[in-house]
Amino acid sequence: MIRFDNVTMVYDKKARPALDSISIEIERGEFAFLVGPSGSGKSTFLRLVLREDRATAGAVYVAGQNVARLSSWRVPRLRRGIGVVFQDFRLLPQKTVFANVAFAMQVIGKNRGVIRETVPEVLKTVGLEGMGHRMPHELSGGEQQRVAIARAVVNRPGILLADEPTGNLDPATSQGIMQLLDRINQNGTTVVMATHDDDIVNSMRKRVVELGSGTIVRDEAKALYTSMMPAVRPRRLGEPAAEERRERVPSPSGAGEEEI
Amino acid sequence: MRLAFILGEITSGLRRNLSMVVSVILVTFVSLTFVGAAGMLQLQISQLKGYWYDKVQVAIFLCGQGSTSAGCASGPVTPDQQKSIKALLESPAVAQYVNDYHFESQTEAYQHFKEQFANSPIVDSVTPDQLPASFRINLKDPEKYQIISETFSSRPGVETVIDQRQLLERLFTVMNQASVVAIVVAGVMIVCAILLIGTTIRLSAFSRRRETGIMRLVGASKLVIQLPFVLEGVISAVVGAVLASATLWAVAKFFLGDVLAKQYPDTAFISPAQVLILVPLLIGLSVVLAGVSSLVTLRRYLKV
Repeated sequence: MIRFDNVTMVYDKKARPALDSISIEIERGEFAFLVGPSGSGKSTFLRLVLREDRATAGAVYVAGQNVARLSSWRVPRLRRGIGVVFQDFRLLPQKTVFANVAFAMQVIGKNRGVIRETVPEVLKTVGLEGMGHRMPHELSGGEQQRVAIARAVVNRPGILLADEPTGNLDPATSQGIMQLLDRINQNGTTVVMATHDDDIVNSMRKRVVELGSGTIVRDEAKALYTSMMPAVRPRRLGEPAAEERRERVPSPSGAGEEEI
Repeated sequence: MRLAFILGEITSGLRRNLSMVVSVILVTFVSLTFVGAAGMLQLQISQLKGYWYDKVQVAIFLCGQGSTSAGCASGPVTPDQQKSIKALLESPAVAQYVNDYHFESQTEAYQHFKEQFANSPIVDSVTPDQLPASFRINLKDPEKYQIISETFSSRPGVETVIDQRQLLERLFTVMNQASVVAIVVAGVMIVCAILLIGTTIRLSAFSRRRETGIMRLVGASKLVIQLPFVLEGVISAVVGAVLASATLWAVAKFFLGDVLAKQYPDTAFISPAQVLILVPLLIGLSVVLAGVSSLVTLRRYLKV
């Protein structure tokens, strides 16, 4: 679903690269944590998937498409297939909960009937049934994040990116949010979550990709926040991680899609 | 749905930025009024020129029924007199100065008069036999007017010889200079309008950066994100253009039509209907300047 081929991202030529020739594949329907200290390249990773930036070198494939090759008018279509959730929720303060979720459908031209039908459904899935008329400032942080998640998944994207979604929430509320993300994942959505929250990572036992100084220092299935292994053999350039040697999903666009 | 959404975005944008929108309207209004004023002066010049101005320099008016000048004491011009004037025009002594000439009969004179004074009530009280027939002469060298004048003014049947250019040229010079001044002022004001539209859209984009950020993330197209901003600029500019057009029309109707036309009944003024020719021009200009300045601004301040 998401594949990085030797991706390097340099923001400032004098500084070290934000991502240094990383290769990784996240399969369709997978749940992956992206951990690592600040500045390790987590946000850059997410920005490249969304094509907010283009990689300096290497190729980023999302749903089989090389995102750097997309013409600018096709980028919106890419982003419709990706939902995003942030630490700071980013709700529109002057719109109700319903309107905030509906906004994501309005701007891509969904008709009113579909919106009226879908939004309450999605609010129900995130556990906010009947709260559509409330304003964001009347809600707790956890509820606001649920609205943000509802907005991210209302258009049924294949991928959900979450950038520290529990960063502003207490542990109990965070658990609730994680259950929600897990449920979304079980419905087939690929979830990539960047986080610092070790309790959550440890309790979920999902794939953990640890970044450090722009490189992948660890990539383990069903892992914990800190490494279980005493030492990690540094991977050679371009070598896929153990989990990546599984059968690949054939991509619709063949060009530039050769196996490593 | 998307259209309704875009319209909603536009109205909320216009409301939020009301004072800036009003200033955009006023600046485009003033600048386009100046552009229109220059256009009106040019229309008025061509109106004053009438049918013959660009074709000939000198007119020899022949005696008509109502002619009162000394040369016409014997009454209207006779066919013989007319023939001898024509012969003289073609004689080598005169022909060397003449490029070509036209004879304008009383009926033709009436036709041309009707066209020029179409907006004036005077046209109803004039009949063909009140207008003199004339020879209209195109000189090889316009400066040789004196020779023609001396040769013809004392001929029997000639009422008067007039150098039309001399009469109107000075007036036209003044009007052309006024047009240039109006265009220069308009140019400065248009620069103002473009910058102001740019600033307005910048502010508007800044105050709505949360919305546009989310729109980008959920995959709204460039059109849906940018169109409300472009249309905000275009709508304010078009309102300005409409105000400018209304002002010009009012000037033509109430100042030229009701005041000046009464003071100078023998002058052909442009009609309010003629001013309406300028309206599409002004609206087109306002759309172009708002569209261009907003696209340039958005390219810099609203990345998609």
